[in-house]
Amino acid sequence: MGRILCATRGGEGSHRTQDAAAALARERGDELLFVYIVDTSFLNHTAAPLVVDVEGRLERMGRFQLTMAQERVADQGVQARVLIRRGRLRTELAAAAQEEGADLIVLGRPVDQGAVLTESALQSLASFLEDEAGVKVLVL
Amino acid sequence: MIRKRLLRHRWLLLVLAVALAITLGATGRESLSRAQEPGLETTEGPSVSGHVLDPLGEPVHDAEIVALAGGGQETVAETASQGDGSYLLDLPQGHYEALTIEISRPHFESHEIELEPAAMSRLNAGQPVRVEDVTLERRITAGFWVATLSFVLVLLLIALERLHKTTAALLGVALVLGTSFVGGALSPDLFIFDFERALSYVDFDVIFLVLGMMIVIAVIEETGIFQWMAYQAYRLSGGRIWLLVTILIAITAVASALLDNVTTMLLMAPITIQIALTLGLNPLTLLIPEVLASNVGGISTLIGTPTNILIGSYAGLGFNDFLLKLTPGVVAALVVLVLYVVLRYRRSFAAAGGELSDAMRQRLKESGRITQPAKLRKAGTIFGFMLLLFVVGDTIHLVPAVTAIMGAVAMLLWVSPDIEEMLHVVDWTTLMFFIALFITVGALQEVGLISIIATGIGDLVGDNLTAAILVLVWSAALLSGVIDNIPFAATMLPVVAYLTRTVPGAESGVLWFGLSVGAAMGGNSTLIGASPNLVTAGISERAGFRITYLDFLKVGLPATIVTVIVGTLWLFIRF
Repeated sequence: MGRILCATRGGEGSHRTQDAAAALARERGDELLFVYIVDTSFLNHTAAPLVVDVEGRLERMGRFQLTMAQERVADQGVQARVLIRRGRLRTELAAAAQEEGADLIVLGRPVDQGAVLTESALQSLASFLEDEAGVKVLVL
Repeated sequence: MIRKRLLRHRWLLLVLAVALAITLGATGRESLSRAQEPGLETTEGPSVSGHVLDPLGEPVHDAEIVALAGGGQETVAETASQGDGSYLLDLPQGHYEALTIEISRPHFESHEIELEPAAMSRLNAGQPVRVEDVTLERRITAGFWVATLSFVLVLLLIALERLHKTTAALLGVALVLGTSFVGGALSPDLFIFDFERALSYVDFDVIFLVLGMMIVIAVIEETGIFQWMAYQAYRLSGGRIWLLVTILIAITAVASALLDNVTTMLLMAPITIQIALTLGLNPLTLLIPEVLASNVGGISTLIGTPTNILIGSYAGLGFNDFLLKLTPGVVAALVVLVLYVVLRYRRSFAAAGGELSDAMRQRLKESGRITQPAKLRKAGTIFGFMLLLFVVGDTIHLVPAVTAIMGAVAMLLWVSPDIEEMLHVVDWTTLMFFIALFITVGALQEVGLISIIATGIGDLVGDNLTAAILVLVWSAALLSGVIDNIPFAATMLPVVAYLTRTVPGAESGVLWFGLSVGAAMGGNSTLIGASPNLVTAGISERAGFRITYLDFLKVGLPATIVTVIVGTLWLFIRF
């Protein structure tokens, strides 16, 4: 049995990816692992007092999002595990794939203007993950 | 046990004690200098005294004053003007045929005073002479352009997010000081100011107020009180979204009046996203109203926004001044904001609906619980005392920075948070940002750009206070949407001081409050208008919901217009 690692942030745009990853896991008989990366690099340009445990807050939010994803695919008969890591998105995803022994990484393609990653940024991320983690990346 | 605790916290306590001493010292010096100013002690023997002013009527310090005899060939005496612009030239006893007083300073045209025969007679009789006040005309030098372009570069780098704010401001400092020291050696026109003069522009009341509040807030935020309040809002609303958004706006506004706006949104945004998803709502329909409320709510206290801290310290306005004179206007603006938001998102709110599993309910509850009740009781008590001191501080001449530092020390001694953690939560980059900003803006004052802006606005509004309020509030609101409102407010402080002095009726302080209202509410118009907007967008993006520039503009711009209208009306009513 293999292992599919699906990076997700939540949001409507991610439902399609979560559903597709679940369908793939069911079809291949693989384990599905949803990953949320707590990446606070967006605060690097803020010179406002950062006295809050931002990572802790985002981790709680991430767990909430992952629980939603778990429940979503459970309705489709797929039991998924969840994983949260703190750090830069690229490096943490690659590390997670290696440490978890993933066979496949699933990423969601931008679906509209509100998408978080642009197409080019997504392709760049996919190439990085394939090179760094040595795992095939599927962009859905 | 207390000894152990003191030993464990000795380093941070030392830092705070130094901060307290500097702040108290600065306050004391200020009181002393106020008590002694203006003027110079009288001396025996011949002397020449006078005042040097700039075109705004502000005293010019460090102007070089030279008494020349022998047709301008022989230097008889020299001195420099003091902080209040006064000078006193002690002349050697003797007989003088004629005497010329030459006054010069970088970035000003030199000025000469030929002493009249009557004055010469007094001097030759060994008596002092008081000459007329001199207003030096500004001179546009190469240093003027260096300081101006450096500041524009800093604003652009911040607005375009090409550099961290602090790095951008430090670059500005490096440019103006580097030009002064290196360029000044090549050409006097490139000299802007020396290092000592540059540091004199740093407002340490602001620095220590921000430092103290960082520690206090860090302790309070650990308790989970604000997330608990947000969760209670969700429970109380019973699924009625209009009620939920109203309560969330109220909580956010109150929180940002007590904390800074960015902290407020860092606390509120994650749990708000969870609440929205629970209710089947797009989180942006709650997040954007919250961030708008945070920018408006912060106006009502001295510590609510960085711009208020700057204004309060510069203008000598206390906690009560903001609380009493602006809170009713802020409440009115928030009421209008709620109505606007409910109307704007009525379809989204009507379409909301979601079913919550036990696991999800549990996750939401976990995010919205008070994590450390015992710490909350202690921290809440100290914060309550701090608010009391902020309120009564005006009457006992206790500056807010001292209250903040005392609160921080009390938190460390009684609530006893981890020392390493406390050192970690003090955001030194923010403190550096303020220091660098003060120096960069100081360079603009030094070279005369602020003076040009002030006289320009002064000429535009004339003696009309209504025009002055309108121009100030709306230009602040418009500009704060495109450039960071902190450097903008810092730049406008001397301008508002000039207008307050020259426009009839402005002595009530209305223009200071106008700057506060315009700069803070104007930050709501665009995504880059205020730091909380960008921070909220970042958190929302981490949850898979991107707030685009256009998304924000569509909601934020109309909200800005209506709230600034309410704010302006309030200023007219109150003053």
